[in-house]
Amino acid sequence: MQEAVDLYAQSRKIVMPALTVIEILVAGMTAVLAGLVAFRADLTRARGGKILAFIALFLLPALAMAAGLSQQMEKSKSTQFCMSCHVMEDYGKSLHVDDKSYIPAAHYQNNRVPRDQACYTCHSDYTMYGGLTAKIRGLRHVYIQYLGNIPKPEDIKLYTAFNNRECLHCHAGARSYMETSSHHKTSDMLQLAAENKLSCMSSRCHDTVHDVETLADAKFWTEKN
Amino acid sequence: MAISSIEQRIRWAGLLVVAGLLVQLLTMTWSHPLAFMAFLTIGCPLTLAGVLLYLFSLATRE
Repeated sequence: MQEAVDLYAQSRKIVMPALTVIEILVAGMTAVLAGLVAFRADLTRARGGKILAFIALFLLPALAMAAGLSQQMEKSKSTQFCMSCHVMEDYGKSLHVDDKSYIPAAHYQNNRVPRDQACYTCHSDYTMYGGLTAKIRGLRHVYIQYLGNIPKPEDIKLYTAFNNRECLHCHAGARSYMETSSHHKTSDMLQLAAENKLSCMSSRCHDTVHDVETLADAKFWTEKN
Repeated sequence: MAISSIEQRIRWAGLLVVAGLLVQLLTMTWSHPLAFMAFLTIGCPLTLAGVLLYLFSLATRE
């Protein structure tokens, strides 16, 4: 079990993306120029100094802020980011369960979702502003983590039932989904699933999801490099 | 050398921008919800305040 605790950390080696390095360089250079203008405000009496102040106190900070915001939004999609909160640790472990009936584990281990954005891929609505609503929910999670009552991992529930839309975003039209016999037990099964009237997960079909309360007895898969 | 009120505002604007950018730089090296929150609630407002103070200093007279 202790081995499983570190599975996620071992398998994900974090490399700082090139864009983050560029953003750090831009912000650093801007800070140096803004500092120069701050400590030598008399420079702005000359035309060159006015141009420097405009660049250092308006153009570059705006650019650095926009780029930083974009980078932060991108980082917040990462699996590592979601696993930062202790209460999410078991959910991270559930991605490594060696049992294909665990839907998230099967998706994660077989690269059906990008491993670096595993949580975000399934838990963001595939709708207009889906990413934004996910971020707003994330702010609520941060509030609960630091200022609210943190629930036990097994007590964490989705705000609303998981919508089939999130599954069908990838599976709709796929041969394995369209032709498998279990999806044709009734003639209207695919239609009902498409309309979200028959849940993929809570209709006793794919109902083993994270199931963190069962992890104590689970076997775990270790990624071979 | 005497500093005019516009230059004083520009000085404060510069300091605010530097403070905001330093917070942003710190948060960029850390992938954590607290870093995200610090970026949003400290870094961005400080930088924005500096930029707005600079624009205000351009729009006002001595």
